[in-house]
Amino acid sequence: MRGNGNPNPTAPATSRAFFLPDFCATRSVLAVVLISEIVAIVLTLARHELEHGFWTDLARTSMFLLWVGLCGAAALCYSRPQLARMSVPQASATALAMLVAVALLVSEVTYRVGQYWFQDMQVGVARLFPVDHASFLLRNGFIACIVSALALRYFFVTNEWRRNVEMEAHSRIEALQARIRPHFLFNSMNTIAALTRTDPRLAEEAVEDLADLFRANLRETRNQIPLKEELEVARLYQRIEQLRLGPRLAVRWDISSVPLDTLVPSLVVQPLLENAIYHGIETLPGGGTVTVTGTRHADRIELRVANPVPTAGGGAGHVGNRIALDNIRERLDLAYPGGARVDVTEDNGEYVVTLAFPLLQPSPGPGT
Amino acid sequence: MKVVIVDDEPPARDRLRRLIEEIEGCECAGEAGNGHEAIALVARATPDVVLLDIRMPGMDGVEAARHLGSLDQPPAVIFTTAYDEYALRAFEAHAAGYLLKPVRKEKLSEALARAARLTKPQLAAIAATTTNRRRTHLSVRVRGELRLIPVEDVLYFLADQKYVSVRHRGGEELIEESLKSLEEEFEPDFVRIHRNALVAVRHMASIERGDDGQYSVRLRGLEEALQVSRRLASDLLKRFRG
Repeated sequence: MRGNGNPNPTAPATSRAFFLPDFCATRSVLAVVLISEIVAIVLTLARHELEHGFWTDLARTSMFLLWVGLCGAAALCYSRPQLARMSVPQASATALAMLVAVALLVSEVTYRVGQYWFQDMQVGVARLFPVDHASFLLRNGFIACIVSALALRYFFVTNEWRRNVEMEAHSRIEALQARIRPHFLFNSMNTIAALTRTDPRLAEEAVEDLADLFRANLRETRNQIPLKEELEVARLYQRIEQLRLGPRLAVRWDISSVPLDTLVPSLVVQPLLENAIYHGIETLPGGGTVTVTGTRHADRIELRVANPVPTAGGGAGHVGNRIALDNIRERLDLAYPGGARVDVTEDNGEYVVTLAFPLLQPSPGPGT
Repeated sequence: MKVVIVDDEPPARDRLRRLIEEIEGCECAGEAGNGHEAIALVARATPDVVLLDIRMPGMDGVEAARHLGSLDQPPAVIFTTAYDEYALRAFEAHAAGYLLKPVRKEKLSEALARAARLTKPQLAAIAATTTNRRRTHLSVRVRGELRLIPVEDVLYFLADQKYVSVRHRGGEELIEESLKSLEEEFEPDFVRIHRNALVAVRHMASIERGDDGQYSVRLRGLEEALQVSRRLASDLLKRFRG
C-alpha cells in the first residue's frame, strides 16, 4: 500500500507536494467515508424530528452519499496525476467540477433505478427513492458543490500546515547543525602558521585535515551517515588537536564491538570529542585521556565519551558544553523520535556523555 | 627588550619566539606553559614585557596578569588569544594590549613598542568582565617575593583594620583586599559568619552552640572555633541544616 501524504524526509520534492491526498489509499478512503457520514447525519437531522423515520432516512441518505463519496474518491484517484500537474486554483476547480459531476451522475442513476424497478410498488422500498427528478438533481448538485468545496479547502489547509511543520523541522535541523568553534579554527591556523616553517610536511597534512573536517561540517546534517565516516571525522579532529596539545592529549578508541556501517546522524561523535577536549583536557595542566567506547546491546548502540575534568573551580565554560549537548540530543531525537537517549554523568573528576540509539543498518541493495 | 612568552601550546610558543627573535632589539627571556610557571619565570628573568595567553589550564592569563601586577616591578603585559569575544571587549575597554593568534609580525612589534603596565584596577576590571572572574590563587608578597596561595587551601579570611588576614593550610598572611570584594568573588564557596569573618565552606566541620546560646564554627585542621554573629546565625543554620 502506498503511504498517504507521508512526509518522506529524504524526498526533496515534499515542499511542492500536491495538496490533494492520494484517494486510493485506505486512510483517505476512510476520510471520505467519514465525511459522507457526517454530511448524511447533518442532512437527515435537518429534515426530520428524531422520532419520525430518522433512522430509515439516515440509512438511505448514507447509502446514497457513500456512493457519491466513493465514486468521487475513485475519480480523484484516477485523475490525480493530471491534477497534480495543474496549478492549485486550476486543480481545485477541476476537482470540484468532477465531484459535482459525480454527484449528479449518481443522483441520476438513483432516480432511474427508483423509476424502473420500484415504480410499481406504492409503499415500502419505493418511498425511499426520489420522485421529483429536476429538483433532486439540482439540490444534490448544490450540496455536492458546497461540501466538495469545503472538503477541498480542508485538504489544502491540512497540506499547507503539514508543509509548514516539515519546513520548520528542516530549518530547525539546519540551525542545529553543529558548528565548529571559532576558537578551534583560529588555534588550528596558529598551529599551522607555526608548523609551516618548522615542519612544512606536517603543516600540509594539517591543512588537509582541516579542509576535510570543514567539508564534513558543511555537509547537510539531515543525512544519516555510517558510523565509520563519523568516526573518521572525529579522528581528523583529534589529529589537528594533537598537533596543538601534543602529549597532553590522548584518545583511546574502544569501538570494535560496534558495527561500523550502522547509520548515525552526522556530527554526533565529533562534537562530543571537541567538548571533551575543550572543557576537559585543555583545562588540565597535565592533560589526560579521552575514552570513546562503543557497545552494542542487541538492537541498540551505545556510545560513551569520557574525559577527566578539573575537580575544583568555578563552573565557567559549562554553558557552551550544554548547548552542544542539547543540540546533539535534539538531532538524535529528530532522527529517532523517542528512541534515543543522551545521558550525562559527572563524578570523581570524570565527565561522561552516553548516547544510546537504535541500531540502524542500511538495507543491503542498491542505493549506497 | 626582554620578552617572556606564556602559552600552553608548544607550537604557539615556537612561533612567537621566532617572531620575537626576528624583531630588532627584542629577545626572548624564557617561555612558560601556564600561569604558575609564568609567575616564577617572571620573578627570575625580570622581563620588560610578558606575552600572556588567556586560555590556559590551571591559572589563566588574566589571573596570572593580576598576580604579576603585585610584583615590585611589574612587567608590561600583552594578552594573546585565538578567539575570545568577551576578553577582547574587556581589553578594548580598559586599554590593555592584546594580539590575535596567529599573530602578525608587524602587529607584534607595534604592540611591543607600545606595551604598557596595567594598573591593579585595570586588571581587576578586566578580570571582572571576562568569563573566569574568580581567581584560583591569592598572591601575597613575602619579603619581596610573590607567593601564591591556592584559594582551596584558604580556611578563612579575617578583617582587621586596614588588612585582611588569610588563614590557610600553610600559615597566615596579610592581603590588601576588602572582605566585601572577597566575599563577592568567592561566593558561594565562602560564607560570612561575622562582620569580620569569611569562612571556607569546604573546610567547615561543624556548627556548635555554646552554653550562652552563641554559635561557633569549627573548621577542619583548626584548633580554635570561630564566633558566629547573632545576626548571621540564622542564615547560616538555614543553609547548613536545611
